[in-house]
Amino acid sequence: MSVSGVVTDALKEGRTMLTEVEAKELLKESGISIVETRLARTKKEALFISKEMGFPVVLKVVSPDIIHKSDVGGVKLGLKSGVAVSRAYDEIVSSVRQNKPDAKVLGVSVQRMARQGIEVIIGVTKDIQFGPVIMFGLGGILVEVLKDVSFRIIPITGADASQMVRELKAFPLLQGYRGQEPANIPLLEDALLKVSAFIEKHPEVKELDLNPVFAYKNGVLAVDARVVLEEGVSR
Amino acid sequence: MSVNRERMDRIFHPRCVVVIGDKKQTNYMWLRSVLTLKGHVYSVQINKDEWPGIEALGVKNYSSILDIPEPVDYVIVAVPRTVAHRVLEDCIRKQVGAVMFFTSGFAETGTEEGIRLQNVLGEMARKADLYMVGPNCMGIYNPEIGLRHHPEQYCGEGGEVGFISQSGTHATQFSLVGYVNGIKVSKSVSYGNGIILDSTDYLEYLGGDEDTRAIGMYIEGVKDGRRFFRTLKEVARAKPVVIWKGGQTEDGARAASSHTGSLTTSVAIWDALIKQCGAIRVDSFDELLDVVKALLYIKHPHGERVGLMAMTGGQSVVISDAFAKAGLKVPKLSEISYKELASFFNIAGGSYMNPLDVSSNFSSPELVLRMLNILGGDENVDTVAMEISSYFLSQRLRVGAKFTVDELVSALTSFRGSSQKPFFTILTAGPKEADALSIREKLVQQSIPTFPTFQRGANALKKLLDYTLSHAE
Repeated sequence: MSVSGVVTDALKEGRTMLTEVEAKELLKESGISIVETRLARTKKEALFISKEMGFPVVLKVVSPDIIHKSDVGGVKLGLKSGVAVSRAYDEIVSSVRQNKPDAKVLGVSVQRMARQGIEVIIGVTKDIQFGPVIMFGLGGILVEVLKDVSFRIIPITGADASQMVRELKAFPLLQGYRGQEPANIPLLEDALLKVSAFIEKHPEVKELDLNPVFAYKNGVLAVDARVVLEEGVSR
Repeated sequence: MSVNRERMDRIFHPRCVVVIGDKKQTNYMWLRSVLTLKGHVYSVQINKDEWPGIEALGVKNYSSILDIPEPVDYVIVAVPRTVAHRVLEDCIRKQVGAVMFFTSGFAETGTEEGIRLQNVLGEMARKADLYMVGPNCMGIYNPEIGLRHHPEQYCGEGGEVGFISQSGTHATQFSLVGYVNGIKVSKSVSYGNGIILDSTDYLEYLGGDEDTRAIGMYIEGVKDGRRFFRTLKEVARAKPVVIWKGGQTEDGARAASSHTGSLTTSVAIWDALIKQCGAIRVDSFDELLDVVKALLYIKHPHGERVGLMAMTGGQSVVISDAFAKAGLKVPKLSEISYKELASFFNIAGGSYMNPLDVSSNFSSPELVLRMLNILGGDENVDTVAMEISSYFLSQRLRVGAKFTVDELVSALTSFRGSSQKPFFTILTAGPKEADALSIREKLVQQSIPTFPTFQRGANALKKLLDYTLSHAE
C-alpha cells in the first residue's frame, strides 16, 4: 500500500483513525525506526509471517473499531513458537468476538517482540491557537502521574529538540541511572526532529502517538503508533 | 498578513486627536488625558449640557466628526455600545487614521447582543480597511508626544520599554508603577478585545520601533497563533520580550491520562512557546516589573555566582537561601579577597565569608565602597548584590556612622560606574517603609536597580542570566 494510499483509503472509508499497520506504514516516510509490523488476515498468514520475522513475536488485533486493544484481550506478547502463535491467534479472535462483537476485525498484526529499552513517548496534537504541538516524555508512570513532559510548537529546531529532552525532570534516567543502559540522546533528538518534519509535510495528521518508543544505547525504536487524521485538510 | 508600518506610525504619533463622547460624569478623563498632546485635540459631543465643561478645558467641540476642519489621525470613542456603529460610520467617512473604542459591552460579556454588536463593528472596519484599537480598551500611550490614556500618566519624556496589554488596568499600572521604579514607556497600548489590530500587530510594530529597547506583554489569548509564534520568534531575536500570560488556570484532571491530547494544557503550551521563541515568561505584575528593571539596569551577567552583602547576620543567612533557591550560587571568595578583608574588617558581630555580614563595618561610604570593590573584583563573583535595610541604616546613622543617605548613594553610584560586573541593591524596609521609599527614589535617580525583597531580586537576576545565556549562543 502506498503512503498516500493509507490516508485516502481511510478517509474514503470514513475513518479518521488509522490501524496500527496503516499508521506504521505512513510513518515509514518520516525516517524514524519503527518495528516492522505486518497484517495477517488468517492464522496461516500469522504463522508464516512469524516464522519469517523470527520469534518471539507480538500479535495484536487489527480493527478500525477497536482503540484500546488490550482492554478486549486483543494483545499477546512474547510468543516464542508457532504453537504459541496459533493459540494466541485463536484466543485473540474469540476474546474480541466476545468483548466487542460488532467490531470489524481485519486480522492481527504481527511484529517481532522488541528488546526492552527505556520507554519514552513522542506525541503530536493540534492546539486550537498554535497548531501542531510536539510532546516528549518518559513512558508509563512518569507521563501519567507526574506529567513530566515537554512541549514545543512545530516546527522545532535542533536546539528545541535538545531542550525538550533535557528539561524533563527524569532526564538523568535517560543518561543511564545506576548502571542501566543509557539512551542515545542525539538519536532521540533526531527522532523529535523527524516527527516535526513529518507533521509539517502532513497537515492532515491531527494526532500522532508513538507510545512506547524504546530508547537504547545505540538506537531508538518506535514500538506502537497511533495516527488520527483530520478530515477536510488538503495536503 | 503583516502590519502596515506607516499606518501604525500614524496611530502611535497622531497629530490630530478627536475624543467622542467624553463627559463630566467621568470628569472628562479622556480629554484631560490628551490635552498634553503635541498637536490638535477636538471633542465631539452632541449633548449640549456637556459643552461648557468641554470648552472650559479649552477644547473646541463639534457635533459631528465630519465637521472637523482637518484630517484626523486617532479617535477615542467613549459612547454607549448601542451607538458605537454610528460613530464608526462617521469615522469611516472622515477617513481617520484609526478608531479606539473605550466603549465596552461587546463579546467580553458573552451575551448574544454583545457578540452581535462586536461583529457589526468588526465587519464595518474590515470592509472599510480601517485600523481599530479595541474595543473595550484604553488605547495608545506615547509619553513623548503627550498622548495618554490616563490623566495621571507622565509625558514629555519617552522611555525605552514598549508595553502591549490586553488589559487597560495593567497598561496604566505598568506606566505609573514603572515610573517610580525608573521604568519609562516608549509606547504602549491597551487593546482589549483586539478584533482588528491584535497583539501580534502591536508586537510586530514595537519590534521594529527604534525607541523601544524591550517589550512587555500582558496577554490573555491570541487570534492567529501561528503568526504570533513566528512574529514573537523574530522580535525576541532582536530585543527582549517579557510575557505575562493571564488566565493560567490548568485543568489538572485531564493531565492524568497518558493520551497526549489530554496532557496538552494551554499553560504548558504557552510556556513552551515562550521558551521556544526566546522570550521571558513572568507570572505576575511584580515579576514583570522586576524583570524589565533587570533588563534595563543590570549589566548582563556572565555566570551564576553572586557576591552578596547583607547588613546583619540573620539577613546574611536568608539572602543566601534566596539566591541559592533561585538557582544561583553563593561561592566562597578568593584568597586575595579574604586577605584584604582580614586587614580591616571588624568581625565582632559580623563575618565576611560570602555574604559579607557587614554590621558595624557599615560605618562610612568609603568602607562600603571598599567592600563592594572587593566583591566586584573577586574572580569567583559574577554579580554583586547588596542589601540596604532602611531600618538598620537609620540605626547606623543615629549611632556610630557619620554619613548621609546621599553620600551612601553616591558611593554606590561610583561603584556602579566603575565595576565591570552587574550590580543591584535589595532595599528591605522593616518598620521604616517611608525611609525605604525615599531611599528608593534616590537610587532610581542614579539608575541603581533596587528590588524590595531578596526573592524578587534573586529571581530577576536568574531570569536575566537565563536570558543572557540563551541569547549568547
